Amino acid sequence: METGKGCLDLENEVINAGLCTSCGACVNVCPYIKVVKDTVAVIEPCGIAEGQCYDSCPRTPTDIAALDRAVFGKERSDSSLGPYLSIEMAQAGDSSVRSRAQYGGVVSALVSFAMDAGEIESAVLTRPFDGSLMPSPTLAANSSGVLDCAGSNYIASATLAQLNKAAKQSSEAIGVVGLPCQVLALRKMQASKHETGAEGVKLTIGLFCTWALSYQGLRDFLRDKVNASSVRRFDIPPPPANVMEIVTDAGSVKLPLDDIREFIKPTCSVCFDMTSEFADISVGMVEGIEDWNTLIVRTAVGKRLIEKAKLEGAIETKPLEEARLDHLREASLQKKKRAIAEIVRRTGDESDLSYLRLSDGDRRKFV
Amino acid sequence: MSTLTLDRPGQTVLMMGNEAIARGAIEAGVDFCAAYPGTPSSEIPESLARVAEHFGLYAEWSTNEIVALEAATAASLAGLRAIVAMKQNGVNVCADFLMTVNLSGTKGGLVIAACDDPSAISSSNEQDSRNFARFADLPLLEPATFQEAKDMTKWAFELSEKIGLPCILRSVTRISHSRGNVELGEIPERTRTAHFEGAYISGAFVPIQHSALHQKLAQAQEEFESSEFNWYAGPEDARFVVMTSGSGWLYSREAVAALGLENEVGILKLGTTWPLPERYVIEHLKRAKEVLIVEETDPFLEQNVKVLLAEQPETQDRIEVYGAKSGHLPGFGDINQDKVARALATIKGLEYRTRDEQYAKKAGELALPGLPPRMPTFCPGCPHRASLWAIKAALKLDGRNGFVTGDIGCYSLGAGPAGFWQLKTLHCMGAGTGLASGFGQLGRFGFDQPVVAVCGDSTFFHAAIPGLINARFNNSNVLMVVLDNGGTAMTGFQPHPSSGRDAVGKPAPVVEIEEICKAIGVDVAVRDPFEVDQAIEDLYDMLQNDGAKVMVFRRRCYLVEAKEKGKRRVYVNAEKCIGDDCGCARFCSRVFNCPGLIWDHDAQRARIDEVVCTGCGVCATLCPRGAIAVEGDER
Repeated sequence: METGKGCLDLENEVINAGLCTSCGACVNVCPYIKVVKDTVAVIEPCGIAEGQCYDSCPRTPTDIAALDRAVFGKERSDSSLGPYLSIEMAQAGDSSVRSRAQYGGVVSALVSFAMDAGEIESAVLTRPFDGSLMPSPTLAANSSGVLDCAGSNYIASATLAQLNKAAKQSSEAIGVVGLPCQVLALRKMQASKHETGAEGVKLTIGLFCTWALSYQGLRDFLRDKVNASSVRRFDIPPPPANVMEIVTDAGSVKLPLDDIREFIKPTCSVCFDMTSEFADISVGMVEGIEDWNTLIVRTAVGKRLIEKAKLEGAIETKPLEEARLDHLREASLQKKKRAIAEIVRRTGDESDLSYLRLSDGDRRKFV
Repeated sequence: MSTLTLDRPGQTVLMMGNEAIARGAIEAGVDFCAAYPGTPSSEIPESLARVAEHFGLYAEWSTNEIVALEAATAASLAGLRAIVAMKQNGVNVCADFLMTVNLSGTKGGLVIAACDDPSAISSSNEQDSRNFARFADLPLLEPATFQEAKDMTKWAFELSEKIGLPCILRSVTRISHSRGNVELGEIPERTRTAHFEGAYISGAFVPIQHSALHQKLAQAQEEFESSEFNWYAGPEDARFVVMTSGSGWLYSREAVAALGLENEVGILKLGTTWPLPERYVIEHLKRAKEVLIVEETDPFLEQNVKVLLAEQPETQDRIEVYGAKSGHLPGFGDINQDKVARALATIKGLEYRTRDEQYAKKAGELALPGLPPRMPTFCPGCPHRASLWAIKAALKLDGRNGFVTGDIGCYSLGAGPAGFWQLKTLHCMGAGTGLASGFGQLGRFGFDQPVVAVCGDSTFFHAAIPGLINARFNNSNVLMVVLDNGGTAMTGFQPHPSSGRDAVGKPAPVVEIEEICKAIGVDVAVRDPFEVDQAIEDLYDMLQNDGAKVMVFRRRCYLVEAKEKGKRRVYVNAEKCIGDDCGCARFCSRVFNCPGLIWDHDAQRARIDEVVCTGCGVCATLCPRGAIAVEGDER
């Protein structure tokens, strides 16, 4: 990790450069950095030269190979999907969980199971549509709290701010469910020389993510189209639909995806990670299959939990067809290539990949 | 017993200048007092309100100065005696009424006590309100001593009644807020009843009314020629005369004595300064060759005397006049004995040293090391500190270079470090909202910055409502933040329309700020600024909406809260505070900087100064380590 920088560097290099993912890693660490909705700001420079904020940000320089070694004990061999032990399809054993969840309900089922099994005592999650378009970070301590957070968000919230807050108040084992940028930040926090709130995190579940939307852009766009306080579900059906479907109490609205794309956060176009490559377990959709998830097990911690969860019926799994795996790999690779191309477009220098620190060999795979 | 109710004529008591003015009103049998608080005038109505029940007089805090003057004028028109008190800025607020009530005239004695603040110790300007007397053709009296403050006030009622005009009594901070001996007079039986008859219309046959006004003023001038408030002290044939009024009298007397000039310099002290008692002045200047004019703040007397001298027949010897124009006195700021002595010494070619150099050096050495360097700041526990931090944070998060237009109140300090330098404009009561309503229209000219107008609860009622209505009516993009601390705090926490009590402390109907806002049709929210994070988020959200909207940050002045409800103990848990190992970089004592938060250099930890801490506890919510706790409320 590159260190030796503080909040003004974070402000210059990340926030003002439009790279902030609003993951929340830098929030609730000190009194100087605040988040509202998906906007993070340094309210006043603290004057400290080396800050945890800069250190744990997913958009400050990140040595992918070093982080691989720290998390997995070795560097990755799969340059598309990152390190993993297995990839399957999975769904929650309990159909009522599936019915509340976006797809197969695997995340909700696993978090609840980890709590019941005593692996974690609480979990930092993100609650969608709590009376507004903006999802809110939440600390859930039981399965009903977990189920309240079921469903996909398309706006990134400062979930790790909730972790920083929770970690200050207790030292119990915490689980975190996050987007790829949040998982990356969490691993940087764990690898940091600073004392961070991430030491107590015993389980990290990563979500698949192609991009997230800016709150303000989406809110303004939807203002005269849907009642934001009654939104129940967002979904992007598989191609060729090319729409975003918004389900509200008053029914469902389909909006052209091309219009929605206008509001993708600028930082998402330089994101290198579709499948939360640094998580213990990564979970996403299976294109075209409503009630199943793709499940990537990456670490020994993840593997142990999945085995127990299967054994006790919390989740069911079945093999992911080879064609679907190839499709996933291709999608992930394309995201990386697009990200690198965008970074190079911004830096104007093929050897300057902004926050990404890749070996020359790795870099050539994507350029 | 209060010195206002003490019924012992001839007894000498120590009185603050403003109390003496109030006592003068009592000795004139005043019936009605209305005022809006303003330093240095507030003790006049406060003193009268305290004895209102005793004497059966009526005292009110009005929503602003013009309403106060109008209300008091009503009493006058009904034949009662009435007094209004205000600071210099308040006279401006009255100006519109003042420039017409002079034409209509008044009936019962009506005294306008205008207390000026030279050097603007508690003000946003140091205007000389004597100019209003000349402007409005109204008689002007200037007390120079505490005795005069009382006696002149009493006489002002009589004069007002005699000529049928309001009388302006002009004080300054050093008269209003100092104390001196006052010999009490009799307290009369109050027998007046209120009854209105006739008509008081300004605007009908104005030139005739104006001419009649000049005649009334000439009548006042005639009274002034023999006034006991004008006197001459010094040698009969002095060639050098100091002419002075108000606070200048005592400074002049001391300066002449300090220079040992008692035998050659005379002092002509005037208490009736507009219109000038011309015959009296000329009579006392007829042997003078040189005149130094000593007054606070504008060269008001100086200019009037120069005009008078210019009008004298050419046979009269020329008199050299020194003062602000000649540069011997400043014409700005307050004056003192040293400034007068220096002016005298310069003109006379004398050596004058304020104090011995050795003494000054020694005093500096002894005093300065014990004084911590300190910028003006909010009181410990002041809700404005949290409010302005929330505003700063919301504007930073918003990211469009938004700024704050300021207004008059404790929160005016927000223009400095106490409020994180947030206020970028500061003028007069209500100006913040008016300015903001203008800024909020500039989008069509490329202006893309959000504008936040702050105003206090009392200021809201006083002058900000028209600005808010203007913003609403013209659809301006404005976020008004009402910093509601429950009273007119800066002047001593006097009640106002939403305080629920009146000037004499009795329960009063509550006029709700948010209900007014709703009726105007703007979005309004009420939040507690001590819930800092919520306050930031809600302000941020409001900033994203177009149009006029209002956030009321409601949290009572904690000095008052602590006084009434007792002080909670706030302390730093020395185990949880990790000092400079924390990422907070001493946020509490360095950035938030409440006087109750200090850095213990020996322990290298934050500490609460329990002497000044009011126990508000907002710091406990801001400490990132949770190291600050409120006793009985530990989390």
